[in-house]
Amino acid sequence: MTDEREITLTVNGTKRTIEVEPRRLLVHAIREDLDLTGTHIGCDTGNCGACTVLVDDEPIKSCLTFAVQADGSEVLTVEGMEELPESAGDLHPLQEGFHEEHGLQCGYCTPGMILAGKALLDENPDPDEDEIREAISGNLCRCTGYQNIVRSIEYAADELEARAAADGGTSIPDRASNASATDGSDAAFDCGLENCCGGPAAGADGGESRE
Amino acid sequence: MGEEVSRKEDRRFITGRGNYVDDVKKPGMLHCELVRSPHAHARIEEIDGSRAMALDGVVAVLTADDLLEYDLATMPTLMDDTQDVLVNDKVKFQSQEVAAVIAEDRYAAKDGAEKVDVSYDVLEPVVDAETALEDDAPLIRDDIEGKEDNHCFDWETGDEEATDEAFENAAVTVEEEMFYQRLHPAPIETCGAVGDYDPGKDKLTVHMTSQAPHIHRTLFAQVSGIPEHKIRIVSPDVGGGFGNKVPIYPGYVVAAAASYVLERPVKWIEERSENIQSTGFARDYDMNGEIAATEDGEIRAIRVDVLANHGAYNAAAQPSKFPAGFFNIFTGSYDVETAYGSLSAAYTNTAPGGIAYRCSFRVTEAVYLVERMVKVLADELGMDPADVRRRNFIQPDQFPYESPTGWNYDSGDYETALDEALEMADYEAYRDEQQRRIDEDADKLLGIGISSFTEVVGAGPGKSCDIAGVEMFDSADIRVHPTGKATLRVGVQTQGQGHETTFAQIVAEELGIDVDDVVVEHGDTDTDPYGLGTYGSRSTPVAGAATAIAARKIRDKAKSIAANELEAAEEDVEWDRESGEFHVAGAPERSVTVTEIAAGAYMNHPGGEEPGLEAVNYYDPPEMTYPFGSYVVIVEVDRETGEVEFEKFVAVDDCGNRINPMIIEGQIHGGLAQGIGTAMMEQITFDDNGNVTGGDFMNYLLPTAMEIPEFETGHTVTPSPHHPIGAKGVGESPTVGSPPAIVNAVVDAMAHAGVSHVEMPMTPDVVWKHLEEAGLERRPAQNLEFELAGDAGESVTDDD
Repeated sequence: MTDEREITLTVNGTKRTIEVEPRRLLVHAIREDLDLTGTHIGCDTGNCGACTVLVDDEPIKSCLTFAVQADGSEVLTVEGMEELPESAGDLHPLQEGFHEEHGLQCGYCTPGMILAGKALLDENPDPDEDEIREAISGNLCRCTGYQNIVRSIEYAADELEARAAADGGTSIPDRASNASATDGSDAAFDCGLENCCGGPAAGADGGESRE
Repeated sequence: MGEEVSRKEDRRFITGRGNYVDDVKKPGMLHCELVRSPHAHARIEEIDGSRAMALDGVVAVLTADDLLEYDLATMPTLMDDTQDVLVNDKVKFQSQEVAAVIAEDRYAAKDGAEKVDVSYDVLEPVVDAETALEDDAPLIRDDIEGKEDNHCFDWETGDEEATDEAFENAAVTVEEEMFYQRLHPAPIETCGAVGDYDPGKDKLTVHMTSQAPHIHRTLFAQVSGIPEHKIRIVSPDVGGGFGNKVPIYPGYVVAAAASYVLERPVKWIEERSENIQSTGFARDYDMNGEIAATEDGEIRAIRVDVLANHGAYNAAAQPSKFPAGFFNIFTGSYDVETAYGSLSAAYTNTAPGGIAYRCSFRVTEAVYLVERMVKVLADELGMDPADVRRRNFIQPDQFPYESPTGWNYDSGDYETALDEALEMADYEAYRDEQQRRIDEDADKLLGIGISSFTEVVGAGPGKSCDIAGVEMFDSADIRVHPTGKATLRVGVQTQGQGHETTFAQIVAEELGIDVDDVVVEHGDTDTDPYGLGTYGSRSTPVAGAATAIAARKIRDKAKSIAANELEAAEEDVEWDRESGEFHVAGAPERSVTVTEIAAGAYMNHPGGEEPGLEAVNYYDPPEMTYPFGSYVVIVEVDRETGEVEFEKFVAVDDCGNRINPMIIEGQIHGGLAQGIGTAMMEQITFDDNGNVTGGDFMNYLLPTAMEIPEFETGHTVTPSPHHPIGAKGVGESPTVGSPPAIVNAVVDAMAHAGVSHVEMPMTPDVVWKHLEEAGLERRPAQNLEFELAGDAGESVTDDD
């Protein structure tokens, strides 16, 4: 099984090209080939969700996806959260929420939880408690008993709404409407990231290096 | 102290910058995959690694024969037994480690493991303790010289004669058998290690998922023969421990040994199924409880008999003089004159373990036993279980209280905690509602369960508590830097409990330093003071005490520096806890802060003192701490499906003085969720062939956000009189205290029809069978069948 294939992923806004065996799991590609070790492995049966990332805006368990299946996709991992437009250069409201509401202890499920929370809030900016619990039911946590995780996601929903309101909007823009949203200075929305939201294309060496 | 300081450690975890063992990447690092036994009991005839070695990327196949050369084929357990690292004669449980494949990457290692050919002569397995102790049971431990049966050990506690006499003379006696099923702590991060032997320095570094890195270093030294100063254990960020990461597992030894042999770093990370099937399980106590009482509910004596399943090796991770842990705290929160407990432990063809999963060394089992039995007694007498508890509680003025099995409870006020919990739960109203539903023959029954537990945590006094001979002290090393910032190093190891924040809070309180100006380090045996690690809720009781005392030593020295700075006599200088400053008595404006004092210590130190400002304390606790709590759980039981829903879940805990209420609450939530998992879902079972039938997350069910209700938490404060800051441990209380409350609630829902016990896990089918036996089951209306049969299309449409 040494037949390797070249694949290109846009990971957290940066184009990355790697060579992988067809059988290589996306989670291993993310962790070991791209050195983004925030994404974790907690089981071998697809149950725990510690490996949750967004692929083309959809939450997926990266242990149940081959890396080659993600060829050409946009991948968002926890390391990319701070660079999203709603993070305003610092922590994303979800990250802030987990900190403020004590939504994490050992921290091992946290990256997957944050991504699951992101997927929920993209779809439903104002979820009720039941909707939050259902949205994270594919993510196991052994430390928190979930209550504070629910609070964390509620915090983020409120914060995102407040930020959107402060921007003059009535609700937060979802990813689909990002492209046409304006930030007041540019007609076309640009989050500033390479290969994302209309941002600049990656430079010649942009494919392999990333801060 | 007492502030809800948000956590200092969060930033790296919420940004994906934690550093867990599998994140460790070293130049030239190899990967290890263990070949495991498909059989529970079988003789190994041959191990052939040649097909594996022929694969690209496979570097080595190790078997017991390779380890024998280094005397590492077996290792001692913490209970004076011996466990195989790799087996070359006879496997004794399914998934046991037989060989190791070392390869350039994890995929090649896995390919290699599949190509290691092992031929087995399959033997009859025995997986339950009762069968194992029968005369004709197959002998498991033929490696122990002279061993002819599967008997592991016997243990007893208390006064048998007095207890028997109390039972003979008792007006009322009750008895119930209950099985505390085999569980697994299942931290979301499994166990793993990176062994890295550096031949240039002749030094072995092992990054590993360890709750007790120092004791692991000592054990590594004893087993490997490498001197202790040439071993460095690093326990980096740990993705949950829950007792699972206290024992030493074969995988750690193999990774370390392989790196020594191959002179390259070797990483071993187990998968989930390996974690559940081969690492330390929890519980597996088959208990018979009895209470002798008066007709008005005064408990006179408690008698307990236990059959314990210890698996193929006695590898329970607990103080060496306590083979049944602290199970003899089973008289609980009650003032009982006499008690007696006996226990037999058996070897079986199952993975070793027993002590894990927030058990505080078998206190889970003890509390389950006594809190269930109090409910059984209350039902027998037709009394309110809250009243039975009140009648028997040890009273506040009885502390320190010596229990009939030899514990010395430090402090408590049990009735206040119970009253608080009952009020929060609206107990009386729910009792009325319960009766209303019975009277009206409602579809859903209501059950109310109580548990008023006493924990024993903080092992422990060196005179009685040791791990492999090392007394169970713990330590703190505080260094105040010239600019007034401080570094605290501790001998305990957080796995998410927030030590980096709470220990900084203790230093901040004692020295008047800002919490943000204290960094807490742990888990590196090269730099941190020797400690016994984190488990048994011992961090606050032991290392928390050491931290306060080390800080007070610094404060003493700071006083002389302050006197020097203030040009006052030392006896005229006072420390003001409020402002965190030293000032001249009667002249608060003449004061110095710790920052000024720190500068003085390095730049203008008084004659007669050493320069610098630092202190170490190794704390040998005089006693354990005994936190307590009362939990009230209200459930609805669906008579048609046996499903149990939580209507209300109230937890009142008293852990003495509270360092960080936010973190305590998080500990409670997590522990209660594990209690719900325990009571409702989790179980490792085996089939007759010894196959594990609950060995992955498809079959070993952890609660998700959907199964866990909102918790209502409350607290009272009864400080520990012997602890420097009056704090008690708390991390394990919720998992100790909640399962009996949950079972009591479900039993309570059916008690009016004669149900006295329901075994865990109380899955819908289990509950439904009890409903049926008690004549409480409700079946779908008869005509529903006709409707479905006669007009299926419409019914389906309706359902949609």
